[in-house]
Amino acid sequence: MDYKISDRAKKTTLGIAIIGLVLLVFGFFQQKDFVYAKKINDHEVEIRYNGSAGDEEQAELQQTIQSKMHGYALDFHSTGDQHDSSADHHVEESHHKSSDDHDAHAEENAHHGGGHHGPTFVWNVHLNHEAEGDNHHGGGHHESGADVLTEMINSGDVAFFDSEIRRFWSNLLVNGFFFFGIALGALFYLALQYATESGWGVVLLRIYEGIMSAMPIGMSVLLVVFIVGSFEGHHIYPWMDSDLVNPDSDSFDPIIYGKTAYLNKPFFWIRVIAYFLTFYLFFKWFKKKSKQEDLEGGTKTHFKMYRRAALFLDFFSDFSSTMSWDLFMSIDTHWYRTLFGWYVFSGIWLSAMIMVMMITLYLRSQGHLPLVKESHIHDVGKWMFALSFLWSYLWFSQFMLIWYANIPEEVVYFVDRIENYKILFWGTFVINFVFPMVFLMSADTKRSAGYLIVIGLIIFIGHWFDVFNMVMPGTLFDQWEFGMLEIGMFMLFLGVFVYTVLRAISKAPLVQKNHPFLEESKHHEF
Amino acid sequence: MSDKIIYAMYDDDDHLLNGAKDLVAKGVHVTDVYSPMPIHGIDPIIGVQPTRLGIAAFLYGITGTMLAALGIRFMMIVDWPMNIGGKPSFSLLENIPSFVPIFFEFTVLCAAHGMAITYLIRNKTLPGMPPRNPDPRTTDDKFVMEIRTSENSKFSDEELTKLVKNTAFIEIEEKQI
Repeated sequence: MDYKISDRAKKTTLGIAIIGLVLLVFGFFQQKDFVYAKKINDHEVEIRYNGSAGDEEQAELQQTIQSKMHGYALDFHSTGDQHDSSADHHVEESHHKSSDDHDAHAEENAHHGGGHHGPTFVWNVHLNHEAEGDNHHGGGHHESGADVLTEMINSGDVAFFDSEIRRFWSNLLVNGFFFFGIALGALFYLALQYATESGWGVVLLRIYEGIMSAMPIGMSVLLVVFIVGSFEGHHIYPWMDSDLVNPDSDSFDPIIYGKTAYLNKPFFWIRVIAYFLTFYLFFKWFKKKSKQEDLEGGTKTHFKMYRRAALFLDFFSDFSSTMSWDLFMSIDTHWYRTLFGWYVFSGIWLSAMIMVMMITLYLRSQGHLPLVKESHIHDVGKWMFALSFLWSYLWFSQFMLIWYANIPEEVVYFVDRIENYKILFWGTFVINFVFPMVFLMSADTKRSAGYLIVIGLIIFIGHWFDVFNMVMPGTLFDQWEFGMLEIGMFMLFLGVFVYTVLRAISKAPLVQKNHPFLEESKHHEF
Repeated sequence: MSDKIIYAMYDDDDHLLNGAKDLVAKGVHVTDVYSPMPIHGIDPIIGVQPTRLGIAAFLYGITGTMLAALGIRFMMIVDWPMNIGGKPSFSLLENIPSFVPIFFEFTVLCAAHGMAITYLIRNKTLPGMPPRNPDPRTTDDKFVMEIRTSENSKFSDEELTKLVKNTAFIEIEEKQI
């Protein structure tokens, strides 16, 4: 029953990781810092930028714009007088960024741009036709040059390179947490199996152990994100910005300041270390004891694990909640929601069950798990089905109450997402709810590998987008893009994660030898 | 046509399950089994068709959803338009998140009641109906298998009784109708 990772599996997983890495490198250099354009009339466009840009960069951008506008001679006037345009600026602000939460971010950006309020530059662009008889568009209907220019700039065709590489850091957080969550979900489920003394799943326990062995990957990536964030290398967490919580600063944010009792760097680090250390030590301990049980037999180790599992669940129930506040809710610092922890938790649990299902199906198809019967697969399938409902239920509970109450400080979270992430926001809900409901309802589909793989993959990606949705609207606002960077980093993580899991599984016998409920699990059938 | 019913009683569901397996393997048709609790795996052995209660439940449920939608549309949108959470859009679609709990509750209500009533009617166990189980002990801790001679014409009565007696029964009762 020993399993050795096959060459093919090794090549596939590492191949995916390498392709991902290549895509990631290409994508890395395509990160944009958007410039905003507003049409004033058919011959005039206002271009505004809130970040930092030197004179050279500005000139370069002007040239790029000129080169892309064939047939027009562009005239750039700088109207960068901030006081003059401050009233206008707020109109613009509310147009692009719909919440005061974002204003804080915008101000923060502005601050880093040059230590003053308002945009770095505002250009009034006059569009003059170069040639007479400009009917080269043909026909009566043609877009004015101003429309073309506005569209081009707002869609990000012309933009600065994002010097803060926000997309990279945000994606690192998304993927780091998503794959950390899968490992954590597996650990949680293993503890649940021990604490409830479940018999059916004993033949699968080594798979959970294998999956949770990949926990250090996600952990170390998250640590990198936190460390860089603490030194203000990126601004995923606005409350880490010392200016926002400094009453003497221009960009002081009283709401965030009011939360500094909880959201401050030392306490954050204490919490993060407490989470990671707890999870890591429990995971190591469970693995050690399970190996020890293989050698010793008897029920002594089992009862030890049983008690320790209950203890872990205690820690986990608190930490999973506070961790979701620290990692995701604090991105939208002004916003808070008590249900959030559960919502994140249901997501990681479900992703973990999908991963368990995939690994089990793979190993079974290779003939490595003769003890795993259709009934076990069916039961894991039921978990996928049930947890999809748990997730949808929590998603909807969170959404509906906020939507219904319509309190401005709460709705900002959803307004951002619905305005700028419409397809993703509704799409993740529909996919993660409707697909499992329609296709995993019947008992037959929960036993069919084909259905499980297809539906599992779809909702797996759906839940990745769910995490994406939690992070991006708070870090990239309306400047999000989905491209090589996102796909590449996901593939890189996926490949490395699956490879680590398979390698960890190959290090121990595939089924525990002396688990007291092993016999029950072998005969699990319904 | 005269019909004889053989009731074989067991005191363990495993004994009944193995007995039924034995009999069916020999070509006996088992009409029914009376049991205080569901016996896993008995259905395919005695040839009970998979239940269609699930399909009925779906139909009742969708009826409930429709009724809820119609009712809410009439009450909250058409007859007496309501301002919901400061969103006076007076449209079913735009206010749908606030109606989802009602859709859900009404769907569950209709599906649950429909299923329960269908189940009782189909099993002829509506309150007040005469009991069909041959022995009240089948509602406690005994299991009874029912075999009819009319459905097993290839065996004589004696042969059938003998076959049943080969299983791990505790009592056999024969009833002539």
